[in-house]
Parts: sequence; C-alpha cells; structure tokens
Amino acid sequence: MILPKTKLKNQLALINAFSKVLIIALAVFLIPRLVRTISINEMDNQLIEKLDQVYELIEERGIEEFISADEMDMGFGSYNILKEEYISIEGTTDTVLTEYIDNSERIIEEELYDYRVISAVIQYDEDYYLIEIGKSVNSILSFEAKLNRFAFYLLLGLLTLTIIFDLSVTQIILRPFDQLIQKLKKSNHPTTFDYTSVNASTTDFRYLEESIHSLMHRIEDAFQNEREFIGNISHEILTPISIIRSKLDNFVNTTELSDQELIRIIESKMTLGRLTKLVRTLLLMSRIENQEYLLNEKLSINSLLNDVVKEMSERFEIKDLNVKVENSEPEIRIKGNQDLMHILFFNLITNSVKYTPEGGTIRISAQHLNDRAEISISDTGCGIASVDLPHIFSRFKKFKESENNFGLGLSLVKKIADYHNIKIEVESEIDKGSCFKLIFKQ
Amino acid sequence: MRVLIIEDEKSLASEIESFLLKEHYKCDVALNGNTASELLAVNSYDFVLLDIGLPDYYGLDLIKEAKEYNADAYFIVITARGELEDKLKGFDYGADDYLAKPFSLLELNSRLQAISRRKFGHSASEIKFGDFVIDINKRFLNYKKIPIDLTKKEFDLLSYLVLNKNRVLDRMQLTEHIWGSFFEEDYDSNYVDVHIKNLRKKIQEHDSQSWIKTIRGIGYKFELSE
Repeated sequence: MILPKTKLKNQLALINAFSKVLIIALAVFLIPRLVRTISINEMDNQLIEKLDQVYELIEERGIEEFISADEMDMGFGSYNILKEEYISIEGTTDTVLTEYIDNSERIIEEELYDYRVISAVIQYDEDYYLIEIGKSVNSILSFEAKLNRFAFYLLLGLLTLTIIFDLSVTQIILRPFDQLIQKLKKSNHPTTFDYTSVNASTTDFRYLEESIHSLMHRIEDAFQNEREFIGNISHEILTPISIIRSKLDNFVNTTELSDQELIRIIESKMTLGRLTKLVRTLLLMSRIENQEYLLNEKLSINSLLNDVVKEMSERFEIKDLNVKVENSEPEIRIKGNQDLMHILFFNLITNSVKYTPEGGTIRISAQHLNDRAEISISDTGCGIASVDLPHIFSRFKKFKESENNFGLGLSLVKKIADYHNIKIEVESEIDKGSCFKLIFKQ
Repeated sequence: MRVLIIEDEKSLASEIESFLLKEHYKCDVALNGNTASELLAVNSYDFVLLDIGLPDYYGLDLIKEAKEYNADAYFIVITARGELEDKLKGFDYGADDYLAKPFSLLELNSRLQAISRRKFGHSASEIKFGDFVIDINKRFLNYKKIPIDLTKKEFDLLSYLVLNKNRVLDRMQLTEHIWGSFFEEDYDSNYVDVHIKNLRKKIQEHDSQSWIKTIRGIGYKFELSE
C-alpha cells in the first residue's frame, strides 16, 4: 500500500483506521444476513412442530373436527387476531404426499402479509387434504431492518472510539520518538545537543536514544579534538613567526642600517605579514568549517555595511573611487556572527577596490524584493572572464588569462556566506565590471 | 617599571626582554607557569606579559592567582589564538590588554606606555613640538591654544609617531597600529599614506615645518630634537 509521506504515528493511525473500516464493513454486511438465516431456521422448526401437533389433533379427533365432508370446498381456516399465524385445511386434488416450506404473500382484509408457510398434503380416509400453517415474517423483516440500522450505528460508534483510542495510545507510545526527533531538530551542532533522557517506555526507543546519545558524544569529542588541534596549530605556527618578527624588530632597533638594508628587512617583515595573514585566514576557514562560530547575534546588515564603507574610506580616496551606497528601507536584519559578516563585506569591497581602476565607481545597494533581501556590490573594474567565473571562490586559483590570483579573500567570503545561508551570485563582463549579489532569503 | 615576561618560547622571551631592557624597563622572565607563579608571589610587578598558551598552566588562571599578590600589576595577554572569544575571556579574568601573535615590539611598547599614562597618571601625556601641543590621554592637538580638528585615525597616527619620535616607523607598523591585524587582501598597501597626507596638510596650515618626514620605500619618521 502506498502511504502518503507523513509522520509515523499518522501512518499507523491511517493503517489502523483502514483495517477497521474493512472489518466493520464486512460485519455490517454479514451480521443481518446471519441473524435472518438463524431466525428463519428457528421459524421453520416451529412450523414443523406445529404441523406435527396438527397431525396429532387430526389423529385424535378426526378431520371432521376441522372440515366436514359435505363442505370440502369451503375448507378450514383460522387466523389469530394479529394475523401473525394462520392455519388452513382444505381438500385437494393432489394425490402426491408432500411437505415443504416456502415463503408466500397473502392478502388478508386488503393488506399484504408475508408468511413463511409449511404446506403438507395428507391422506385421510379416501380423501386428500392440504394443510397449510403460516407464520408472519413481517416481524422478522422489520427486526432485520432495525438490526441493520442498529448494527451500522453501533459499529460506526465503535470505529470512532477505537480510532480515537488508537491515536491517543500511539501518541503516548511514540512520544519518546517524537521527543528524540525534536531534540535532533533543535540542535544544529553536537555541542548544543540536549542530553536529557526522554524516559522511553519501550526498549527499542531506549536503545535508539542511547545510540543517538553515544553518537552525539563521539561527534562532540571529534569536534572538540578538531578545535584543540586548530588552536594548537595556530600556536605552533604563529609563535615561530612571532620570534622572527621580534628578532627583526630588535635588529632594526639596535643596528645602524642603510636605507637599502632597512628596506630588505621591512620586505622580510612584509613577507611574514603575508604568511601570518595566510595562516589566520586558513585557521578562520577551518573554524568556520568546524562550526565554532555561533550565529546568534542580531545584525543590521545596513549599518554593518556602512561601517565597513566608512572604515575603508582611505582606500577609495587613494584610487579616487566614486562609492555610492543606497540603503534599503527598512534595514535588512539577520541573525549571524558580526565579526564574520564584517570580514565578508570587507573582503568583497576590497576585491572591488583592487580591480577597479582609478576614478571608477563602486555601487553598493541594499533592497527588499518580494521573497528576499539583496545586497549588490558592483564595480566598473576589469571584470572576470566567463571561463574564470566558476573558479573565483576556489582557494588559490590562478588564472592564466588575467594572471590574477584571487587568493583566499573570495573563498573566505563564500565560506562565510554559506555558513550564514546567504546565496552569492556573480555577474561579470570583461572591461565593464563585476557585480556580486548577496541574497538573503526571508 | 618592572615587567614579568611569561612566555614558554625562550627565544621570543629573550627578544622581548632585550627590547624592554633597551626601553629602560626592569625585566624578569618565566619560561613556564610554575616559575611565573613563584616569581609573582615573591616580587611586585608593574606589568605582566602573559602568553596564555603555556604547557603547564592555563594562562588565564595565572592572572587570578597573581592578582592576590600583585593587585596593582597590569596584565597584557599574548595569544596566538587571536580569537575574539579568548580575548573576551581574558578581559573577564582581569586582563588589561591583549596582543595577538605575531606583534610588533613597538606596538607592545606603545601599549605599555598607554597603560602607564592611563593607570599611573604620568604627566608625559602632554607632548610639545614647536607651537603644537598634543595630549595623548585627552586626545587633542592644539596650535597656540587653537584646537586642530583631526579624525580618529589621524590622531592615532600622529600620537604613535610622536611617541616613537626620531624612530622610523614602517607602513606595516603604522597600519597594524591603527587597523589592527586585519583579514585584508593587500597588507602592504599605502592606505596609511592618505592619512599622513591629510595630517600634514592640517599641520602645515599653521606651521610650514615638516615634522613628519617620509623615508622612501620604508615609512615615516617624526623628527623632534630633544
């Protein structure tokens, strides 16, 4: 049977209800028929008994008691008052002795009656007589009709009751299961998982719960190890860099150096700076992958964006860039991590600044559309070749044609956007500019 | 000024020590948490530089412990983790400042000086050059008692240059000082030049002397004879 994709308890209730309807339909169909057969049988037995009594009476008293030989045509007939039974004896021309039971309709005083009739042909002295004993079946028929209706309502009532009962019982039995599912739904990270027991009453659910808990503990441990590992790596790499940096600082401080020599030292420091930045960015990415950042700060995207633009003003000034910001009304608000979102906007705008020639324009706009909010950052820069477009978010991808290295900036942007469930779209045309769109679903 | 340097990396500890000695601080070095704990119990320090990534001690616990004996000491936490969470935790434990590895020794010095001015009320917060007066604590620049309007970054740059007068500061040091160590694409940029240019313009409106000297390819120097 194909069941709709619903919750387990609904499916169970559905199957239950279906099987009950089947059984009840069968019962409603069969019971009245069974009752009827039994009562007809009973009636037939009574009729046979009565016929036997009539035989005895005839035997004792002679047929003349009922019917005189002179008035053979008139016959004998007797009904009780309510016309439930009758008996008739009359002469017949049949000479075959038979006994049979049959249904027949009689009109008595202009009313139609259904009778169950036992007919017997007997021989008495030289003559043949037909004896009929009838019993009205009207009472049976009306009883049957009543029974039909009664059975139908009774069973309908029973059905409703059992379905309600089943539903509440499955609800109770499946409650631990529901609670487990709720727990899984609520925690999007093993460290936020709620380990309080649901007190399952069945061993199956208890086992399920224990398995989930031990799995979660193992995942949590793995996360914890990963976190420590990242922390240690950053310590192990950044400390040596720090040593070299301090040595260079002290060297410059204590030694008389020519400008040429000084420049070489500063270049070494720059290189160290690049290395530091690289390590930090890679660590930041691992931390995001390890979901170490909570997304629980209420952020106004507009004010974040304005802060970043303000902070970067000297970069626009040095390249004489025309930066236009169009804010949306009302503000775009999301739940997320402020530091990460700051880095996202910073890197995106830095990217635009880098590839836009002097005197160019960067347009930053926020707007609300039907089902989403959108931030777009478009520039009049050199653009990205369409063959390169799919790779701009990849780490360290170098492009032959443009000889540009997008480095880690944009892949970090993509990672942060994914982490916040923000979609990024890029449109670009060589020598005309690029447009990065951030799409916030509402 | 007495400084305790708690750093498990010997090489780094000795570089910090020799730099601070040259800047006329008295220094002790502890290469592990236990030594640090003993030194803190016996001596009294003005500053404690604390690397929280110690092998034998949870660094931040040392702050708690040390505050019992050295209630007046100021703690600068050094960490390679560079995580905001760690930073906030450090402040919770009573740290006064925070430096991410790798850091510039000049930056360390400027943090120590800043704390000195703030906490010990040193009169050195006001520095005169020509007819200008810059007050680093109260954050103003006056020319013959006329206030000169500077942006936050311009003021930060000028005070950093003035505090490190007669010393060449490269662009990287200046950039780090005003922006911190940021996750930006091009580290070795000339963005600092814009602020220097604006700063010079504002100063030269009053005085034609060029206080801030450009060192080609390297950075800037604030020249002030003692």
